[in-house]
Amino acid sequence: MSVRLDIPRVDPVSFVFLAPAALLLCALFMGPVIYAIYLGFTNLQLIGIHAINYRFTGMSNVVFLLHDEIFYQSLWLTIVFVIGSGAIGATMLGLVLALALQGCMPFVRWISSAAAILAWTLPPTTIAFVWMATSTQSGLISLLAGNRQFDLLYSHAMLVVSLANAWSLAGIAMTMFSAALRNIPGDLIEAAKLEGASLRQILTSITLPLLKSTIVTCALLMMLMTFGNFTLIYLMTGGGPANDTNILPVYTYLQGFKFHNLGYAALLGNVVVILSAVLGGLFVSVTKSRR
Amino acid sequence: MQTSTELSYNLPMDLKINEPRTLTGGRVISNLTAALLAIFFALPMVWMVLASVDSEATNQLNLPHLTAAHYWVAVQSENLSALGNSLIISTVATVVGTMAAFLAAYVLSKQHIPFKNPLLLTVLFLSGVPISILIVPIYKMFAALGWLSIIPTGILLGVTALPFQIYQLKNFIDAIPVELEEAAVLEQASSFQILWKVIFPLAKPGLASAAIFGFVNAWGNFLMPVVLINRLADQPAPVRLFGFMGSNSINYGVIAAYSIIYSLPVIVLFFGMSRQFKAGFSLGGAVK
Repeated sequence: MSVRLDIPRVDPVSFVFLAPAALLLCALFMGPVIYAIYLGFTNLQLIGIHAINYRFTGMSNVVFLLHDEIFYQSLWLTIVFVIGSGAIGATMLGLVLALALQGCMPFVRWISSAAAILAWTLPPTTIAFVWMATSTQSGLISLLAGNRQFDLLYSHAMLVVSLANAWSLAGIAMTMFSAALRNIPGDLIEAAKLEGASLRQILTSITLPLLKSTIVTCALLMMLMTFGNFTLIYLMTGGGPANDTNILPVYTYLQGFKFHNLGYAALLGNVVVILSAVLGGLFVSVTKSRR
Repeated sequence: MQTSTELSYNLPMDLKINEPRTLTGGRVISNLTAALLAIFFALPMVWMVLASVDSEATNQLNLPHLTAAHYWVAVQSENLSALGNSLIISTVATVVGTMAAFLAAYVLSKQHIPFKNPLLLTVLFLSGVPISILIVPIYKMFAALGWLSIIPTGILLGVTALPFQIYQLKNFIDAIPVELEEAAVLEQASSFQILWKVIFPLAKPGLASAAIFGFVNAWGNFLMPVVLINRLADQPAPVRLFGFMGSNSINYGVIAAYSIIYSLPVIVLFFGMSRQFKAGFSLGGAVK
């Protein structure tokens, strides 16, 4: 048997090994995503006659979407949430914490990093419960504000869910930044100190520029994770009050399973897929270009 | 005389005195910031722990009137069976996801196949898609097939973790030196034998972290079970927790106790195997 060694050989067993993952992903992930594209153009309902006898309705869902004010509001809220809580909130919290940890006592370091990581490990339902209790009337925040009747979750719902989301993600951001800080050569800082640079100068002209790529990667990752955070918002506010926290994933669920418009919900889901493709593409291109 | 001595070392000492002062200034700021953030991160959790053992628990921060009654209520039959359902769902998801991911990751890491890069990009893309978009088509599919129950939901949750697990494991297997496989090939080992006898033992830490990711992912999911499981008695713990939260008179003590019991397995998994997990995570291509 002669085998050419200069050409990489494709082992048929490879496909056997790939088969389970490929089948599962096609049947339960990619297939449904494609199926949803079709459903987005139908009048499928959750209950009633259009639950079984639904049909292709062309562009009517798209026309409805373009005139749906709640959709535009929802899109805007999604952007506010993803950028405000993910790209800025969680990333900044993680960065500030990682920087502070560098120069503090071992005991304080242990407590604060453990608390941040513990907050990150909690399941979303627990996070939602803790933050709901903290931010409603007579909760911790109203105590700190000095007014028992103060209901921050009602008056500033988006702020509270953003805070809760940043709280739950900052632990990973901190881990990423701590790792990056350890990679900064110590002699750079040493040299700057010998030159008489102040701490602020060291921070702004050495540490932060060296962390720039980590900041970008981390911000994008936090955005992706924030975008997927349906559970937290749905459990804390259900999208309310008055649609104040109705981000796209929540609006999709409400349209489908509360207002029974499965077809329209599928179309909203397609918008979510497109947005996450943009975010994911950004992430890949940024991390690839760095290698 | 005094003025002269002061003058004499005022200038040269200036730098030396100054340097430690800015450093301690930095230390004070660091410690203060870290302590404040520690309070910010810990306080909600401290409240939860105190409320769970306080017989008069409210959502305020009080010294507890110690009791274990909330925990007793939290492990009553229906609450306990919800935890059992969570365990079933998460175990199914972990087994399905980790096994399929391991086989695929081995091929994507070590073997030559056509279209490898597009495949890897697809997998990476899928790991970033919010899985909430799957509910409408999956609900339609499962309803048509009569699958609106606990096991298919577990399998589905396994699949939602699969893309990230493939990445995790691929990066782990990438680090296994190819010489080991070459030696096995020279000994006439088959692909199955290489996978089972060479790769599997070395990839165990990676498998552990992938399995933990799969378990935690399924354990925490609320949306899929609530939509995809028909029977109320089959609903997992997060759905039960949400039921508590939505009731008219919130019993903070019981919910806190139940939340803690529900969160504990995840915390133990993370911290018990944090070393492996960190290794897997920092290797995880999506992160770096």
